[in-house]
Amino acid sequence: MLNRQANVLLFSILVLALFASIPIPVAGRANLGHPIYAIPAFSRQYGTSCSTCHVDFPKLNDFGKAFKDAGFKFPKDDETFVKVPPVMLGSPAQKELWPHTIWPGTIPGLPPIGLRFNTFLQVVGRNRNNFNLQTPGDPTAPFIPRTDFQTGLLSIFMAGNFGDDIAFWVDDDISVGGSGADGGLGDGYLKFVNIGRHLKLPTDALSLRIGQFELDLPFSPARSWNLSGWDIYDQANISSVNSILGLPTVSNSFAMSNAAQGVEFSGGHSYRGYHYSLAIVNQNTSGGTAAGNNVPPVVAYTSDSNFKDIYARLSYRFNLERDPASRNEIQAAGASGPHDHTYLNLGTLYFYGRSVQRFQGQDGSGVPRVLTAREPFYRMGADFSLNYHTFNLIGQYMYGRDQNLLPLLPAGFTAPTGLIRGSPASFSGGFLEADYLPLPWLMTIMRWDAVHSTADLINGIGATPDSDIGSFVSPFHATRNRFTPGVQFLIHANIKASFEYQIRPQQIVYDPTTGALLTGAFRTNSAIAGLDFVY
Amino acid sequence: MKRNVLVLITVVMGFSLAAIAGTISGQVSGVAGQSVVYVDAIPGKTFPPPTEQPVIDQKGLAFHPHVIAVQAGTTVAFLNSDSVAHNVFWASVGGNKKLGHNLGTWPQGQKKSFKFDTAGVVPLFCNVHPEMSAYVVVAPTPYFATSDLAGNYKMENVPDGSYTVTAWHEGTKSQSRPVKVSGDVKADFALSK
Repeated sequence: MLNRQANVLLFSILVLALFASIPIPVAGRANLGHPIYAIPAFSRQYGTSCSTCHVDFPKLNDFGKAFKDAGFKFPKDDETFVKVPPVMLGSPAQKELWPHTIWPGTIPGLPPIGLRFNTFLQVVGRNRNNFNLQTPGDPTAPFIPRTDFQTGLLSIFMAGNFGDDIAFWVDDDISVGGSGADGGLGDGYLKFVNIGRHLKLPTDALSLRIGQFELDLPFSPARSWNLSGWDIYDQANISSVNSILGLPTVSNSFAMSNAAQGVEFSGGHSYRGYHYSLAIVNQNTSGGTAAGNNVPPVVAYTSDSNFKDIYARLSYRFNLERDPASRNEIQAAGASGPHDHTYLNLGTLYFYGRSVQRFQGQDGSGVPRVLTAREPFYRMGADFSLNYHTFNLIGQYMYGRDQNLLPLLPAGFTAPTGLIRGSPASFSGGFLEADYLPLPWLMTIMRWDAVHSTADLINGIGATPDSDIGSFVSPFHATRNRFTPGVQFLIHANIKASFEYQIRPQQIVYDPTTGALLTGAFRTNSAIAGLDFVY
Repeated sequence: MKRNVLVLITVVMGFSLAAIAGTISGQVSGVAGQSVVYVDAIPGKTFPPPTEQPVIDQKGLAFHPHVIAVQAGTTVAFLNSDSVAHNVFWASVGGNKKLGHNLGTWPQGQKKSFKFDTAGVVPLFCNVHPEMSAYVVVAPTPYFATSDLAGNYKMENVPDGSYTVTAWHEGTKSQSRPVKVSGDVKADFALSK
């Protein structure tokens, strides 16, 4: 066990390192730039409002879920709703000539482009810099301004259908935080919808998605309607620094919200009954997927493109309308018109992957060689969504565990010669969120996020029973814990003003050397206001 | 013999009525698209409701027609031709919010009907497709007309007399003016937003 002083030192180093690698919702790097996607291209194509598919965009209503399931088109009679006819890439009659001609398809009649921009104001409590008291005079200590205007994302996204149930999606952040082009590709994929029909499977039993995509999470961070992301989906797993290596022995910056490259098989519907997905994706250890090569023979945290991670999800939605006929419809019928179903959706997820790190060691003869630690990890979780009229309660619990290989340093050697198993690095946590729309343009939100991470606690990112030292986002007994009430207003169907207030539990700060109390109990609360528009 | 007499009487009455009925025609200017012109309530006169049942269709995420004029007491049928769920509701009739009504939801290919007894403009909406809207203009008399896109209208068989004639157009303030009918008369309206 490291003493308090060492803990504090590691804390200081790792806070800086982790702030750069883990999206944390405050501390000068607000996690405000969620790629939020409502699709103006579809509004143009179908001549319909955002609210046809969205409840307080980008949150999907039942029809929006069915539209997405169907491959970005109306589930029935799509052609009768399209106001701008698609461009034919070959006459449909050409199908009869195949294989002596190219199979005919279509492209959207309008360029299927939508744009989105957002901007924010963040106000942080006056205690925001209390943690700097632990390192007085340190010029590298993070300074958090009291108020901070921030630009978010300028994003472009393109989506639609090429006919024959082939859907596409490409989005890219053109500008992030007011900077130039440093956002990069978000999702970019083709989805072959309902290919199970060729195998005589039930309708929509099997679809195939290929490219780069967000994992099929229960609640999409990419389509999150909140100003700050759900913490559990951004949780990485990074162990304490090993005294032999001078490096953490688990440094897996994979988070569930990361984009994945690979293929995904899916089926069922997200608006009724079962839904499943099974994805085989590139290994993603270091926050980015492998560049197509095998592990390079250098000392680094890296990824192995030959190894494929696996993600699986299964859910079942019970539509609870009294009218049996209405239960199977996309939207429930009612005396006041169609509306989202009253439903209970239960689901589970599982991710299995392997992280890779290479560090300098030596063989039994003392000759230097690179040691490769391949550490399997998994994430598993359960989720639910309960909807009643305009009230929606959602929840996610997740547990993550990484195998932790430690360097073996026999007596007489100056560098490790092998690896032995150490205590796994694990975390658990999740969120509960209640959304209520008293009016179609007004949504109120109450949310609780909590993450308990042994790795983070060891790193001083969060207080332990032995060391009551937290961090900006890490109060006692949890590495991240906050209540976040919020309210959102649709100024128009495509313009939204959002507010949220992040309430964190009380913290205290000790002098790292003497252990003397430096502050009384305080909170690191923060408020964020955002404006979002798509066009 | 009896039947022949009845036919004769009917023909004579018809000619007599035609002799004392006129036409109100003109143009509604200052706006684009269809307008509705109607004769306001005539004190002391009531009119039997018509038996025909006009249909408003919901197709391709739009109401068809967008504007319809009916006489008070008319039953209008609402058809859903789309494969998506629709709804028809109105928040008021002639600005009277107590007369707001929601017809609910019904499947593709089926109709739901409603009898509009009170005169006034009825803005129709669908609660899941906010871009959808239409107007039922419920006229208090059987003398009404829907203009063409250029604003030209013609009301026929209006008995001679003095009336108040009102022109309505979506998004504008209605305009009323006295019109004395004696044969064919002209009544133009200039509306503005």
